[in-house]
Formats: sequence, C-alpha cells, structure tokens
Amino acid sequence: MDAIVVKDLTRRFGQFVAVDHVSFTVGQGEIFGFLGSNGAGKSTTIRMLCGLLKPTAGTATVGGIDVGRDPEGVKQRIGYMSQRFSLYELLTVEQNIRFYAGLYGLSATRFGERKRFVLEMAGLVGREKTLARDLPGGWRQRLALGCAILHEPPILFLDEPTGGVDPLSRRHFWRLIDRLSEAGVTILVTTHYLDEAEYCHRLALIHAGRLAALGTTRELKEVFANRPIIELQTPDAVGVMRALDAAPEVEKTSLFGTSVHAVLRSRSVDPSALVSSLRGRGLTIDAVTAVAPSLDDVFLDAVEKAGRQ
Amino acid sequence: MKKALAVGRKEFRQIVRDRRSLSILLLAPVIFLLLYGYALNFDIKHVTLAVEDRDQTAESRAIIAAFVNSGYFDLVAAVRSDEALVRLMDRNQIRAALIIPEKVGRAVDTGRNASVQVIINGDNANTASAVLGYATTIVLSVSATLQMEQRGVRMQPPVSLEPRIWYNPELRSALFLVPGLIAFIGMITAAVSTALSVVREKERGTWEQVRMAPISTVAYIVGKTIPYLALSIVSAMAIVLAAMALFGLPMRGSWLELLLAISLFLAGALGTGLFISTVAESQLVAFQIVLIVAFLPTFLLSGFIFPIRSMPVPIQLVTYIVPAKYFLVALRGIVLKGVGISVFWPALGALVIYAVGVLGLASVRLARARG
Amino acid sequence: MRRMLFLIWKELVELRADPKLLRVLLGAPILQLVILGYAATTDVKNVPIVFADNDRTPASRDLIERFVGSPYFTIAGVVSSVDEIDSYLEHDRAWLALSIPAGYGQQVGSGAPATVQVVADGSDANSTTLALGYATNLAAGYAQALAATRPPPPSAGRIGAIDPVIRVWFNPQLESKDFMIPGVLALLLLVMTAVLGSMGIVREKELGTLEQLNVTPLRRWELIVGKLLPYALIGAVDVFLVVAVAIFWFQIPLRGSFALLFAMSMVYLLSTLGLGLLISTISDTQQQAMMTAAFFVVVPMIYLSGFVFPIENMPAVIQPLTYLIPLRYYLVMVRGIFLKGVGLDVLWRQAVALFAFGIIILSLAALRSRKRAA
Repeated sequence: MDAIVVKDLTRRFGQFVAVDHVSFTVGQGEIFGFLGSNGAGKSTTIRMLCGLLKPTAGTATVGGIDVGRDPEGVKQRIGYMSQRFSLYELLTVEQNIRFYAGLYGLSATRFGERKRFVLEMAGLVGREKTLARDLPGGWRQRLALGCAILHEPPILFLDEPTGGVDPLSRRHFWRLIDRLSEAGVTILVTTHYLDEAEYCHRLALIHAGRLAALGTTRELKEVFANRPIIELQTPDAVGVMRALDAAPEVEKTSLFGTSVHAVLRSRSVDPSALVSSLRGRGLTIDAVTAVAPSLDDVFLDAVEKAGRQ
Repeated sequence: MKKALAVGRKEFRQIVRDRRSLSILLLAPVIFLLLYGYALNFDIKHVTLAVEDRDQTAESRAIIAAFVNSGYFDLVAAVRSDEALVRLMDRNQIRAALIIPEKVGRAVDTGRNASVQVIINGDNANTASAVLGYATTIVLSVSATLQMEQRGVRMQPPVSLEPRIWYNPELRSALFLVPGLIAFIGMITAAVSTALSVVREKERGTWEQVRMAPISTVAYIVGKTIPYLALSIVSAMAIVLAAMALFGLPMRGSWLELLLAISLFLAGALGTGLFISTVAESQLVAFQIVLIVAFLPTFLLSGFIFPIRSMPVPIQLVTYIVPAKYFLVALRGIVLKGVGISVFWPALGALVIYAVGVLGLASVRLARARG
Repeated sequence: MRRMLFLIWKELVELRADPKLLRVLLGAPILQLVILGYAATTDVKNVPIVFADNDRTPASRDLIERFVGSPYFTIAGVVSSVDEIDSYLEHDRAWLALSIPAGYGQQVGSGAPATVQVVADGSDANSTTLALGYATNLAAGYAQALAATRPPPPSAGRIGAIDPVIRVWFNPQLESKDFMIPGVLALLLLVMTAVLGSMGIVREKELGTLEQLNVTPLRRWELIVGKLLPYALIGAVDVFLVVAVAIFWFQIPLRGSFALLFAMSMVYLLSTLGLGLLISTISDTQQQAMMTAAFFVVVPMIYLSGFVFPIENMPAVIQPLTYLIPLRYYLVMVRGIFLKGVGLDVLWRQAVALFAFGIIILSLAALRSRKRAA
C-alpha cells in the first residue's frame, strides 16, 4: 500500500488558487521531494497532508487515513518539522524532548530509549541541559528533527528543513534522512535547494500551484533526451547568450554560474559549428563541453512549459 | 534626520498593516467615550428605600411622602418587621431604610420631640455619604413643614447658604469625567504602542539589525515614536471633538494651548513606553509593567476619579510623578475654566520635565543596549 | 489527559525560566494594591475653602471658625473682596468660596435671616456635590445652634421637632476604604489574569510553536485547559497575596469565610482567564491580544461593573449590559464576604452566574480556535 496518495488536491484562498488539482503517490520508505520556488504551493500542500489545513477539493490519504475527513486520525502516525524548527526557547534540550514525548504518549521505557536515540542522532549527548535558544543552527535543526520522530512515525513531513543552516550541517542532516528512509520511514520533504533534490528518490516540481513535472531524477532529465545541453565558458556571457538566442538551432539559453548553458533543438546540431560561427563574430569562447542536464535545467524547463500552458 | 524619517516610515507602514491594532487605537477611544459618557454618573439618584411605618398616622405618611417626592429615593418595599429589613439590606436590595416608630404623629401634635430612624447601607461609602445628607435634609425640612402647618408660623433659619456653581452649573458628571477619559486613553494608546513596538523587535530577533543599523540612537527614537505621537494626537483630538458634539463639552480656552498640552502629555506617555521597553524582554512583561506604571496610576492617582486631597500624604507625594495629574489641571483649565497658560504654566512645566526626563532616560538605556 | 499534564509542566518550566515575568506577576499585585488601596478613596476631606469676609464682625468670624474646626475643610485664605476669589478658583487653590456680605453681623444680631453665598468649582462634580453638602450641613447645624440661643417668638407656643437618627450599617465610619479595597482587589485580579490569559495561545502562534502543537494528538480543549491551569495557579497565589495585604496592611475586616472567598475567587478567575484565552484565539499577534484584552475587556469592566459608579445610576439601556460582566458578580461577592460576612446562601446566585460564565467562555475559546484551519 502506498504511504501517501493524493488525488486532485485543491486549496483556494478566496480567488487565489494556492494548490491546483495536484495528484501524486508516495511509496513506503521513499524520500519524496517537493520542489518549487517560494509561494508555489509546497507548504500549503504539506499543511493539508498534516491535517493543518482543510482541502477545498480533492482527497489525500496518509497512512491509509483520509486526511480530509479525519485529520486527527493521522496525528499519531506522522511527524512534522517546520521551517521554524518549533522548539521552546526557554526549555532545555532534554525538556523539549520530554515535552513532545509526553504529547505523543510515550511510555517511560520507550521514552528512555527514544531519548537516547535522538540525543545521539542529533549529536547532543552531554548538552541535555542547554537551553534551546542557546543552540547553534545545525543542532537546533537536528533536535527539531529528533522531536518529530520521537514517536517513530512511519511517515515524516519536512517543510524546508534546511533553511538557514550551514552546508556541512545540511549534508549531515540528509544523511540522517537517508538512514530513516532505509529503516522504512516514508519522507516527504519540500525544498527550494535544487542540490538537495538530488538526494530524493522521486521528485515533484510545483509551479503556481500545479504539478509541473513528476518522477525520479533520471526520468525528469529524460526531457532533455533529444535536446543536448552544452556549456560554454566565456568572458562575455551576455553577448554569447544574445548571439545564441538568435541562432535557430538553439532552443534557449541560460546563465549557469559564470558560464552559459544552451539547449540545442536536436541531437543533430553540431556544437563545434556553432562555436566557430560565434568566434567568427568576434566573441571569445574559452571552452565548450557537453553537459548532463542538471535539475536546474529541468526545473527551468518545466516552469517555462507550465507558464506557456 | 533622514534616517529618522526612514525608521518612522517603516514603523508607520507596520502600524497601518496591522488593521486590528490600528482600529483599536483609533476607534476604541471614541466608542468608549460614547459608552462611558452616557453610562457614568456620580449623581446619586434612585436610592432604593424600604419603609417600616409603625405609626400609620397622617404625620408619618407625610414623612414618607417627603422622601418619595424628593426625587432621590425609590420606594421599593413597605415592610412590617425588622427582620425583613435586615434581609433586604443583606441582599443589597435596598440602600436605605426608614423606620418610623409609634407615636411620632402624636408627639408632633402635642409639642414633644420625636425621632425617626434612617438606616443606610454603608457598603458603598460614596453613596452612603450622599444618602446621609439627603436623609438629614429631608427629615429636617419635613419637621419644619409640619410645624409650620401646626402653628402657621414662618420659621426661617438664621443663616442659610445660597450655592452658585462655576464652570459646570448643572454639575454634570460627564463634563468632569471626559477630560479624564482623554488623558486615560491617550496615555494607554501612546505608552502601550511604543513599549510593545520595541520589545517586539527583541522578541522576534530583529534587534540585532537595530543594533547594527548606522543610525544614531536619537534618530531611532525619533523615528520610532513619531508615528505613535501623530496617531495618539489624532486620537485625542477626535475624543475632544466627539465630546463636544455629544456631551456639550465646552471649549472656553485656546485650541493652540489645548494642542500643546495634549502633545506634551503624549510625548511623556511615549517616553514612558519607550523606557519600559528597555527594561522588558518580552511583550507580556512590557505590557504588565505599562499597566502598573501607566494605566492604573493614570486611572487612580491622577485626580480623575478620586480626589487627590483626600488621599493620605505619602500617596499624595506619589501623585507628583503622575503626568496625568498635571495634564488634567491644564485640560480642565482650558476647557472648563477658560484660563490661559499664565494660570496653568506650572502644570505644563511639569509635563515638560517629565517628558524630557523619561525620554532622556530611555535614550541612555537604549544607547547602552545598542552597545 | 496525560498529554495535558505535560503541557502544564511545560508552561510552569517556561514561567520559571523567565524570572522577570514571575516577579511582575507576583509582585505587581501587592505593590499596586498598596498604592492604589490608599488612593481609591471617595471620601472628600481637606476641601480648600476661601473666605471673602466683607463684614469683619465677631459674627462673621464666628461662622468662619465653624469651618476651620471641621476636618472636612482647610482654609485656603481669607480675603477682603469678592474679586480676589476668582483667582483662587482659577488656580485650583480653593474649591469653595464663601462670601460673607457686609451687614451680616447686624442681621444676625437683630434676629433677621441672613444669607451667605457659596461659590463652588464645578469642574469636579462629584467632589463639589459632596463638599457643598458638607458646607450646607455645617451651616444648618450652625443655624440650629444660633436658633437655640434665641428666645422663641411669643406666638409660637411649644414646638415639637423631628430629629433624624441615622445609623450606617456595615461601615459605620463610612470609610470608603473598606468599600474600595475589596474592589481594587477584584480589579487587580482582573487586570493581571485577563492580560496573562490573552498571551496564552497567541504567543505560541507568534513564535511558531502552535503549528507544531496542532500536528500532535493534543486536543484543542486539552490545550485550553492546559494553559488555564498554570495561570490559575498564579492567580491563586495572587489571591492569597492581595487578600493578605488587604487584611493585614489595610485592616479590612474579613467578616465572612476565607475559604468561600478563595473558592469564589477561583471561579472568578475562570472567567477572567477564559476571556483572556478567548481573545488569544482570535488574535494574530501578542500586541493585538493584549490591547484587545485591555480595551475591550478590562476597561469596560472597570466602568460597568459597579466598581466606582453604582449600577443603579446608569441609564436603563446600559444596565442589562452589566449582567454580562463577571466583575459585577465578583464585586458583590467580595464586598459581601468582607464587609457583611454573608455566605453562599446569600451569594449563590452570583456564584452560579460566575461559574456559568466561565464554562461558556472557555467552551467558546475551545470551539473558536480549531487545530485545522478551515
């Protein structure tokens, strides 16, 4: 049985449609990523799945329970971590853990085990008596995650869990997610960091409340199967982009770091011919390479397509 | 100066966006003015009265009639026993009881003295004093009238008082209370808003930005307080105008001086709020302190409701640091008495000293907090 | 149920971790009661009065002496012309001005009735009324004394007079203190707990932890009650403190049962905290919550509850409104227990009303705020 089944989920705020007929499923143990820019509808969707917001239309089944009709039913079976790492500043690490364990009704023995687990996982052994407000960003993040999984929920919702945290801590965090997933926990995570999306088994790209693309990273990159991407290193990126935009074999260009990415219309286009013509016009091209499509490209492409519809 | 304006503009935008707080600040005062202006009344009337008439003669009925006709008493019960009176008193169903013993009528007829008993419910001392006065006067005048009827003799007291009342001839409580209400509301609006505004930054974590900002503490303070000053002045003037329209609050003095007095008072209130914000870490604590330091003293120690002269001397000394007290003097002077600065300049001076003092203290503390 | 206990525990830990708050919540009521208990007096004493004595005879001086001797008045000055009175009244140096006309002494001496004018500063209507009353009574007493010294007119015969004998129950000295301080007590409890309650939910909303709580199995009513109980505990401590101050510092007699007073205070707190919590559920920010609590709960209650202004004197349309004010009922109870020593047999109506109030308000708070946004 799939852990999460979403069908035509919709949410309106007055005239504004925040989530527009979104459908997808998440299998057990999967790490499912929700990708999109701010305001695309990611947080709204997660809130509906957690029973925090009532859907305007559509259904969502979480752990076998219809969340729209029975929001309370899922609460014991899910864990949730928000962007704000909702910890109680005036409570110590230990007290935060004890509090949430109490809310989930953990027995004394189970509490002992889980507390040890969370402290270890978060690297907070020895810092139990530190006030939450005195913890640096990375530790708070891990503590928040720990509090969300105290009751060993089979399904975990993470809403932008890595905001404002240093890259090292982020990497550490994702390793923890991986371990959880291996242990069978289903994880739905929203993010706008494209590099993190690579950690997910499957991805959904959300734009303007609609699903723009859905699949594994490989499947998603298939859109570029017949549209190779070349990367050009040049000191005059703007000029090169302009020239390429005028070329009929080039579908579109984009700035990628300091270099230019160009999507060619078909495999038959010869990159070296293109480069010669550019050099012929006086533009300096230092290097040109064929690159594998990145999620960045996929995302931009999907957004563009969605915009055209 | 420009930076102060920038801070002020941001603050103003935040105020305007918080619709509910804004409406509370602007509308609540006027709504309350309506409610309280009509509901509040010191005039003691409709005093509930019970009568136990053991005499049942023409004279005793004359006494009862005098009470009823005085316009102050409402006769709610005629009882036959003392126990009944006790019950009514205990339950606060009557505020006064008149007991006319037997043989009063006969006593008057035969030229002997008699007495009637008036029992007053003392649990509200204010009303009780007034009722005591009414009852005494009524009985004495009934006594004189009965004698006059008996003898046909005019008895005039050798000395009598003829009262004249200045500034407020009908002694309407509303005119008295309205100035106090203005002070009260203005203080709360100004002090509370300012206190919360700064503490909120601390709570939300934007305080670091405030510390780092390349702006002098003075400019920051000016920027922070100007929007609230403007708002509360508008609020206060709205109350004044509403009071004039609805309660016939007179305006016998100068508008300019009124504006000056209001502005000085509100500046002090803002300073109070600002100072409190440097002491409190959370909005709850700030609010509670504002309540203790601004709200309750303004209400109870400014002479607005309770006369200062009747308070014990140590407390009277405390009232010297309540700015509302001085504001009331100035306000009543301008609005009711029609006098000018030449008369109430000490009050204005006190307001200036208070405002400067409290703003200065706040600045020092804020500067230190910014490091 | 167990979940709620954890919530209560968390609230108490948070409270302990914020010492300033605790100091304010426990210390403020005492401080306020002490200062305000003294200030809240409606007795009018030391009324400054100025005399314009145009007569300057032993008779006029005699009249002035009468006022000097009274504790109700202080002499602000004796001037010789009426014009000088203006400045006294304008500058607030006197509230009353007594103007004794020239020829007063002669009139009194010859047995003719004399009139003395008294001018009052009407800007403080309440005090003026009372002050005028005192002055009138003083003059009447003086007049009676004068009359007694004169021989009765021959045609009068024996005249019987009726004297009023006045007794004041519950408060024989007419000390407004005994009346006011229980009122101030009630007021303080209201102010502290309504504001405290209003922070309850909205603080978590503002800091972001409310969302986390909504995701857990903690039920809404568990949250409300879980917030209520720790605050009620603080309220209970406050009740103890202020009652102790009232009894031991202000010497207010407690003629009724303390247990009843305490129990009724807790029922009262149910309403005040409940109102605070209700406000908390409809506010988005702490500022909104506190201002709403202060302006729409506390201030109306002060004015409409009978604390200072008797309800009987309010316009008929307003009076029914006062039935919605918990403070009204509590005032009756607290004054009744202190001053009259009455028990539940007399106060049961108020107790029921307060209790019902509390339950309704708390239910509204629980219903009004849902875990899931619609």
